Amino acid sequence: MTRRTGWLVAALAWALVGIPLCWGVYKTLQTAVKLFR
Amino acid sequence: MAGWLAKERIVAPPGFNRWLVPPAALAIHLSIGMAYGLSVFWLPLSRAIGITAPAAGDWKVSTLGWTFSLGIVFLGLSAAAFGRWLEREGPRKAGVAAAFCWGGGFAIGALAVHLHNIWLLYLGLGIIGGCGLGLGYISPVSTLIKWFPDRRGMATGMAIMGFGGGAMIGSPLANILMNHFKTATSVGVRETFLTMGAIYFVAMLAGAFGYRLPPPGWQPAGWAPPQQANVMITARQVHVSEAWRTPQFWLLWTVLCMNVSAGIGVINMASPMLQEVFGGRLIAAAGALKDLSDAQKVQVATIGAGFAALLSLFNIAGRFFWASLSDYLGRKRTYFVFFALGFVLYALAPTAGAAGTVPLFVAIFCIILTMYGGGFATIPAYLADMFGVVHVGAIHGRLLTAWSTAGVLGPVLVNYIREYQIGRGVPPAQAYTTTMYILAALLVVGFFANLMVRPVAERYFMSDVQLAEERRKAHEGGAAR
Repeated sequence: MTRRTGWLVAALAWALVGIPLCWGVYKTLQTAVKLFR
Repeated sequence: MAGWLAKERIVAPPGFNRWLVPPAALAIHLSIGMAYGLSVFWLPLSRAIGITAPAAGDWKVSTLGWTFSLGIVFLGLSAAAFGRWLEREGPRKAGVAAAFCWGGGFAIGALAVHLHNIWLLYLGLGIIGGCGLGLGYISPVSTLIKWFPDRRGMATGMAIMGFGGGAMIGSPLANILMNHFKTATSVGVRETFLTMGAIYFVAMLAGAFGYRLPPPGWQPAGWAPPQQANVMITARQVHVSEAWRTPQFWLLWTVLCMNVSAGIGVINMASPMLQEVFGGRLIAAAGALKDLSDAQKVQVATIGAGFAALLSLFNIAGRFFWASLSDYLGRKRTYFVFFALGFVLYALAPTAGAAGTVPLFVAIFCIILTMYGGGFATIPAYLADMFGVVHVGAIHGRLLTAWSTAGVLGPVLVNYIREYQIGRGVPPAQAYTTTMYILAALLVVGFFANLMVRPVAERYFMSDVQLAEERRKAHEGGAAR
C-alpha cells in the first residue's frame, strides 16, 4: 500500500464510522434543542 | 478462517497508516454502545401481546430492564475473565468473538420475543450479549496504546467515545425500524432485533478485520520515548496476575468505581431533578411540577428529554476531550481535576436549583457528564502508565469489574436515599439535595484514592526472562515497545 493509498483508505474508513456518528449526533441535537425552546 | 484470526497474521506491513486502527475500534465500540439504548425497546415490548396497550402476560418495563443490568454485569465479568485470552490470541479474534456474541445476542433476543420467553431474552441480550460487550470493549485498548505511544489517552478516548455514542445511532435507528416493521399483530421488535443484530455483526466483523498490530519495536515516525523520565509512566511491564495484587490496581479500581457511581447516580436523576426542582418555571408557568396540568407536564417532560439528550452529547465529548488532555496534563492530574472540580459542582448543583438559575444548573450537569465520560476514557492510559503496555488490555478488563459494581451502587444509592427522604416527609424537589451531597462524598473517596497512587514497586515488574517468556506465549517477538 502506497502512502497516498493509505491515507485514502483511512479517509474512507473514517467516513464509514463518522457519517453514522454525525447522524446520531444530529438526531440527538434535534431532541436537545427542546431544552432551549 | 482460524488463520485469518491469528495474531501473527495481523502484524501490520511497513508503511501501514496507524490512523486506520481507530475507525476499526470505533466500528466495534459504536456497535456495542447500543447497550445504553436498549431501553428504547422496553415500552414496545411491554405491549408485545396487547400491541396497543399492555395485556395479560405482557412483560413489565421493570422486568425488561434487568436485561441491561445483566449486560453490564457480564460486560465486567467477561472483560475480567477473557482479558488474558485477548492478550494471547490478539484483538482480531476477540473482536470476531464479540461480533458473534453481540449480533447473536440480538438474534436470540428476536427468538425470545417470538416465543415470548423472558429468560431467553436475559440469556441472549443480557448474558451472551453482555459477553460481547466485554470482549468488544477491551479488544482495541492495548492495540491502540501500542500504535499511539505518543498519544495514549487520545487513542483510547476515540474508541471509548464510540461506546458513548452508540446509542445515539442505535436508538433512532431502532425507532425507524420498529415503525417500519410494526403491523396490526406485531410491535416490530422481533424484526428490528434481527436487522440490528445483522448490522452490528457485519460492522463489528469489519472492525475486527481492520485491527492490525504494530511490528515489534515499531515507533511513530519522528517520535522517540521522552528522555526525561516521568516516574508516573513506567517503561517496564507488570503481569496481569501480579497487577491485581498491587495497591495501585485497587486504588485505580476505587477511582473508577467512585467516578462512575457518582456519574451514574447523576445520569439517573438529572432529568427528573430538573423537572421537579424548576417545575412550572421551565415553561414560564407558576407552580411546582405536581400542580401543573397534564398538558404542561408533557411540555416539562419534553424539556427533560432534551436535557437528557444534551447530557449524552457532553458525555461523549468528554471522553475524547479529557482523555486527549490527559496526554498533556498527566493521568493523575486529570483525575485530580475530575474529583476536585466534580466535588464543587456536585455540591453547587442544589444551590443552583434553589437559586432558580436554569442555565447555571444545566451547565453544571453538562460539565459533570464530561468528567463521567472522561473517567472511562482516561483509565486505560492510566493503567498503561502504571503497569506497562504488554498486559494492559487484560488489566483493564479486570478493572472493569469496578464499572459493574458502580452500575449497581450508583442507582441503588440514588433511589434508596431519595425514597428514604420522601418517606420522612422531605418534599420531592428538596430530596435531591442530600443525594447530591452523598454523591459528592463518593468523589472525596475517589480523590484520596487517586492522591495515593504512586509508581508500582520494583518487585511487581516482570524480569527480562519472564517478559521474553510472555512474549513467546503471546506469539510476539522483538524488543520491548
